[in-house]
Amino acid sequence: MQIRSIYTASLLSALMLSGAAQAEYSAADEIKVLQGFKAGGGSDTLAQLTQPFLRELLGVEFINEYIPGATGAIAWTRLTQQSPNDGSVVSITNTPMLMTNYIMNDAINYSIDELTPIANVVTDPGIIVVPEDSPYQTVEDLLAAAEERPGQITVANSGVGGDDFFSTIMIEKATGLSFQKVPFQGDGPSATAALGSKVDASFNNLGNVFGHIQSGSLRPLAVFTRERLDILPDVPTMLEKDIDVVAGSSRGYSAPADIPDEARDELIAAFEALKENDEFQKTAEERAMVLDIQTGDDYGQMMQEMEGQFEEIWADVKDEVNE
Amino acid sequence: MDNLVLVGLTNVMSFTNIALILGGTLLGLFVGAMPGLSATMALALLLPLTFGMDPASGLSMLASLYVGASYGGSIAAILLKTPGTPSAAATVLDGFPLSQQGQAGRALGVSLFASFIGGLLSGIALLTAAPLLGVLVLKFGPIELFAIAVLGITIIGSLSQGSVISGLLSGTLGLLLSTVGMDLITGTPRMTFDVINLFSGIEFTVALIGLFSIPQALILIENAHGAQKVASKITDRLIPPLTEIRRLLPNIFRSSGIGIITGLIPGTGGDTASWFAYNEAKRFAKDKSRFGKGDIAGVAAPEAANNAVVGGALIPTIALGIPGSSSTAILLGALMVQGILPGPNLLTDYGDVTYTLIWAVIFANIGLLLVGLLFTRLCVSVTRVPDSFVACSIITLCVIGAFAINNSLFEVGLMLGFGLFGYWMNKAGVSPAPMVIGLILGPVMETSYQQSMLIGQGNLSIFLTSPIAVVLLCIAALSVLQATPFFRWVRAAMRPRTQTE
Repeated sequence: MQIRSIYTASLLSALMLSGAAQAEYSAADEIKVLQGFKAGGGSDTLAQLTQPFLRELLGVEFINEYIPGATGAIAWTRLTQQSPNDGSVVSITNTPMLMTNYIMNDAINYSIDELTPIANVVTDPGIIVVPEDSPYQTVEDLLAAAEERPGQITVANSGVGGDDFFSTIMIEKATGLSFQKVPFQGDGPSATAALGSKVDASFNNLGNVFGHIQSGSLRPLAVFTRERLDILPDVPTMLEKDIDVVAGSSRGYSAPADIPDEARDELIAAFEALKENDEFQKTAEERAMVLDIQTGDDYGQMMQEMEGQFEEIWADVKDEVNE
Repeated sequence: MDNLVLVGLTNVMSFTNIALILGGTLLGLFVGAMPGLSATMALALLLPLTFGMDPASGLSMLASLYVGASYGGSIAAILLKTPGTPSAAATVLDGFPLSQQGQAGRALGVSLFASFIGGLLSGIALLTAAPLLGVLVLKFGPIELFAIAVLGITIIGSLSQGSVISGLLSGTLGLLLSTVGMDLITGTPRMTFDVINLFSGIEFTVALIGLFSIPQALILIENAHGAQKVASKITDRLIPPLTEIRRLLPNIFRSSGIGIITGLIPGTGGDTASWFAYNEAKRFAKDKSRFGKGDIAGVAAPEAANNAVVGGALIPTIALGIPGSSSTAILLGALMVQGILPGPNLLTDYGDVTYTLIWAVIFANIGLLLVGLLFTRLCVSVTRVPDSFVACSIITLCVIGAFAINNSLFEVGLMLGFGLFGYWMNKAGVSPAPMVIGLILGPVMETSYQQSMLIGQGNLSIFLTSPIAVVLLCIAALSVLQATPFFRWVRAAMRPRTQTE
């Protein structure tokens, strides 16, 4: 995979030498992208979406390096503590995983203060789905059942530390109810458990279950967005139910701390340009990715807020989880 | 479902994949022909080569390698009196006498055709049986998965060559090692010593490469200055006359059946199947006295059986995510490397990839016939490659392979550690296969147990609510019981009665 990407990179660079003049990235000829997950995963999907466009905008080559392990923490430790801060290395940063890693584990010792947020690109919104034969038609039904039988309604999530795990807790805190949380190894198995009626509901992400929703095998009850989604106009948000939960799984790009200002500005400008790029928007839509481009300080603020929120939640629940 | 079957077929039919299948078969042929290199090892070594390929191509190549090596083993068995792979051991009995009588070509030809037919039949069995099991997929939740894992763990006993105790020891070590890493339910790192590289646990492919390949390389080096290998020459024609094939057909069909069923039972592989088929062929033969002195039926039976194991062993691998043999454990590893989680949903969520694998097995058998006819003579020279060269290339491939999994030098060290440990295990007569099974099934068992407990509000009776789980757990209990004195006593009590009947 990596070798192949280097091949295509060099091929494309040869093509580009003959091409028209374009904006040049000041810091380096090529940018290494550290990915904390395996080739072909969600991070890679983002890389395949954005990097061809960024290559044109910045006139640089992107080289993906896959360093899976410890839910991305190996790659992010490498980014923050062992990478040159000259703008030649960036990483795909997944939130909230990026923060929950070190909030939950003392042995992981990087933090978001050690990186330069460049831009968030996509946010896959959180969603509650139930099996098609489930007795729960609306989110109120589900909450009422949890009220009736506290701690007995089973809800699947994608694993401790993932966005669904925390959104379940956020709903519990907001409503005072309690669910039986069942962690799975990722969104896929969590959805499968709901498909087979092994759990009462699955807290999942839209991109992962949209196919099942379309085919009718899973029923969406609510989404964790600010406004209703265009593709699911009949599904209410939690905000409409007066439950203040907005959550999702986001992916973007970050660089090590203290990279040259010029490099940072150029990178941010490139992502800003993506906002206006129709072809990029179209490609993202075709691949069922929900764009949520927030650059520079906005992205930094998004991380800060999440960090505060999750530190608070974790402090509350960690004794319960580790009991 | 039909749709996915066709998607798989079209995936295989691409030029790249056909080329990879032929290449994989040829490579398997050579590797199988080298004494000391088993199909399992060949797969473990070449697994890293497939990391960069798309899933369909990578799996096609591995499947064909497996098929090729299953036949290749007979070449050394017939010409050198040394089985190229453990599953060709039974072939030596009649194959070598035949080659001494100047009929090496005939023996190899029959071996090739028997392998081809056995493999093809098992491929067809795989294509028809796997989807039937696959229908059950959504019925498999954490509770049923736990039962599957328990059943898989009980296989450890049968996987161990020789002593059951050492097999259990090896399996327990595997289970223990599988607990390294973050607890899925609480996120707590366990036995990681704050080494961040261990947070995701021990990649079992790393353990596998180390445990299976490094010890073999070291042993080859130890014996490198031993006696020169003397291979017989092929003097007669390779393609057997049609009448001979027709005469052997019942034998080949029976042996294929034995191979498929033996493969289907998790934990038993080509070595068991080939002996089983050999014995049955002898039992059905009119003239038993010629067995062991060069009866062609004694070549056809084990070879048909050990190739039929390929498809059979893949059935539980694909339908349930339980590897049917150590070779399929590696194929399962290949799926995991491609981001495909083993389990009952291999046929649904990843149906296109899985059907590609199934078709690849079928095509690899056709490729085997072609490649075998063309290259069997060439393989004679492969059997003479000095062991020291073979050993060095093995170690090189191991290092590259371990690094390529996660681009991590830490894992190269880990692989070498497993290698040295595997060497010690080898010397101590402890089979590494149970350890690998433990490493694979450990996390499945632990996680599904914890999930079941959460779903069942901490009540163990949850396992009795699922009929599938109950049946699987009963089978597991039986397979444990049959190894205990109690069962032996029952069998002894039964025997006199059956004999009088």
